[in-house]
Amino acid sequence: MNPADLVPVADMIPVPWGWFQFFLILTFMLHLLLMNVMVGGGIIALFNHLRNPAQPSPLVRDLSRKFPTTIAIAVNFGVAPLLFLQVLYGHFMYVSSVLMAVYWLSVVGMLIVAYYSAYFYNMRFDALAEDAPKVLGLSVVLLMMIGFVFSNNMTLMLNPQKWTAYFDHAGGTMLNLCDPTLFPRYLHFMTASLAIGGLAIALLNLYRKKKGDPDADRLIKQGMSWFSFATAGQIVLGIIFLTVLPSEVRTLFLGGSVWHTSLLIFGISGAVLLLFFGFKKMVLSTTVLTGLIVLVMVLIRDLVRRAYLAPYFSTSDLQVASVTQYLLLLLFVVVLLLGFGVMFYVLKLGHEAFCQEGEVRP
Amino acid sequence: MNYPGWELSFAGGGLLIAMIAIVHVYVSHFAIGGGLFLVLTEMKGHRENSAAILDYVKKHTKFFLLLTMVFGAMTGVGIWFTISLLNPGATSTLIHNFVFAWAIEWVFFLGEIVSLLVYYYTFGRMEKNKHLLVGWIYFIFAWLSLFAINGIICFMLTPGAWLETGNFWDGFFNPSFWPALFYRTFLALMLAGLYGFVTSTRIKDHELRESMVRYCALWLLAPFFFFLASANWYINVLPEHVREVIFVRSPEMVRYIKTFALVSPVIFFGGLVMAIGLPARVKKPLAYLLLLIGLVYMGSFEFIREGGRKPFVIYGHTYSNNVSPLKVEQIRETGILSSAKWVKNKVITDENRLEAGRELFNLTCLPCHSVGGPINDIVPLTAMFKERALEFKIKRLDKSPYMPPFAGTEQEGKALAAYIFQELQGNK
Repeated sequence: MNPADLVPVADMIPVPWGWFQFFLILTFMLHLLLMNVMVGGGIIALFNHLRNPAQPSPLVRDLSRKFPTTIAIAVNFGVAPLLFLQVLYGHFMYVSSVLMAVYWLSVVGMLIVAYYSAYFYNMRFDALAEDAPKVLGLSVVLLMMIGFVFSNNMTLMLNPQKWTAYFDHAGGTMLNLCDPTLFPRYLHFMTASLAIGGLAIALLNLYRKKKGDPDADRLIKQGMSWFSFATAGQIVLGIIFLTVLPSEVRTLFLGGSVWHTSLLIFGISGAVLLLFFGFKKMVLSTTVLTGLIVLVMVLIRDLVRRAYLAPYFSTSDLQVASVTQYLLLLLFVVVLLLGFGVMFYVLKLGHEAFCQEGEVRP
Repeated sequence: MNYPGWELSFAGGGLLIAMIAIVHVYVSHFAIGGGLFLVLTEMKGHRENSAAILDYVKKHTKFFLLLTMVFGAMTGVGIWFTISLLNPGATSTLIHNFVFAWAIEWVFFLGEIVSLLVYYYTFGRMEKNKHLLVGWIYFIFAWLSLFAINGIICFMLTPGAWLETGNFWDGFFNPSFWPALFYRTFLALMLAGLYGFVTSTRIKDHELRESMVRYCALWLLAPFFFFLASANWYINVLPEHVREVIFVRSPEMVRYIKTFALVSPVIFFGGLVMAIGLPARVKKPLAYLLLLIGLVYMGSFEFIREGGRKPFVIYGHTYSNNVSPLKVEQIRETGILSSAKWVKNKVITDENRLEAGRELFNLTCLPCHSVGGPINDIVPLTAMFKERALEFKIKRLDKSPYMPPFAGTEQEGKALAAYIFQELQGNK
């Protein structure tokens, strides 16, 4: 059976694909950073909590307060890219989701348990005493499992030649475990979480340092160490990931295409520079450059997807419906800007309320 | 015919979506009405200069946050995951036609999260008017979420002029949009009272408890007749053929309609009973009982609404089994197996007849029928038919008002009948 015959017919889109591509990249990047803060913050809290379960450090208590909120925001920011992904690649992603339906649907259950565990950990922090790391551990492990399910789906959707296995397993229990890129890819995301989680801790404490917090310097150092060592690991993992990519995809990044290759060179050099900034504890420079490099990595990831799907599909194949929706696109942008304005105002009010009390926002 | 089907057997027939959607809807409506309840009750606390009421609102906010933001929001994502697994084709239609409505709803959802978290964490720390403003902002975002989602849900039942024009606005502001919006808004307000019982019956102080429980009863009872009036309006805007499917031609709808009709006065009198002076040990369990009855109430309504859409998943546009009504004749000529992408047996032979029958079953029946499960179980439904009778029945499937036509060839109908009779009924 020819895998190309299995690819469903795509639906028409209401405005040209470039718009969705733009929103996909933008919202995915934000989701990625937030997800990294969530998972990384969770792992770092767990690590610190396990080192001294009897007397958890103030950092652990601090992270425990923020953990549920990071889940709320990270999940919300996952909705938008998943929406735009379905507009452009739904006919691939729905298929891979059905093939692994049992695992895919289990994401919802795992998320609910992870989320409640995070709140339980925070609200019963003192009462749980030495059991607290177990509750946090459950949450972190579930969140990491969700990431693994996502890695499976995002790679399975790129490999229609593997889809034929459906005819022997129609119960939705497939995974993409034999794919050599799966584990390097997954670990690349998880290690990024340690880096970004560490950076977030450093950044938060840089702010507190200005407010005169005596403990801030030590925490900046700790956060930047997580960042730097994880980034060093990222460079190794990234290169492994590159080597296991299918040759037709890999060669594009190794001279086959100027655009692909330059982006990769830019990304790797940026990562090396980040190592330097990181070990020097230059928090702000690191943050700005990290933002840029994460954007480059998101673009590279997109190019990898395009290269995988090239034999079957390109987003430029998508047809624009006869009744276009430019007015709605505009309405969305207006609502987005207004909504963000209102949210910014609400956050400002919240921030002021906490500053008046001389406390830090939970 | 475009996508693979998830072979669910026992859990098929919409069991998964029913399980997740009903609890989600029950909590998400609370997330809207409960938002208004929070600010108005906080205002009441300030007006009466009562620290005890403010303390109650704070505790209720925690309950509200943990229930709506975790369970409510995550099951909402869960519905999306579930429909894309059970009905990818229809999900894709909804996503591609309403992507900007979904995107706008995402902004509202984010606004809800941000304002609710700030509202919760700044309780007692923020200046009164600012805190109330944050509460109002939460409620407005939450209600706007309903506004956006309501358009898409109603579209599935009454797509109206969209079927001809393909215009977003025709689909969004479809014939049942406004009555459903009012219906759901009033329901959300009632649920605020119903959930309020759970927390207000736990107040230690007798006097305050009695007054807050009565206050919650008012939330439940005051919108009640507006709610029933909007339900009536909702029914009246439904096209004649939809009403006929719901009220006349679907025997299995009767139990949901009866439940809805029976529970209406029960909820109302339950609210009245809560308002009279009973000891806390009676009111506490009664609060949970009413909450459970409310779930049944809401569940029966959602079953009726979903049932009214039969045999379509998007009325007039896509049958429940993902076939477009416009393509039925064409598929009847070429055959399902050769039209569908995800089948192994493209041609029926004597050897593969049962195997092809299974594939036909998965494509055309499994979207609505389970095998041995609690919902729409195919086994008892076909038990009284012999193989030939099944063949005849399949050919004339659309004589039943809630079944889509069988779009296959005669040979495919026979293979399907053979599979049901021999494999599912076990008549080897």
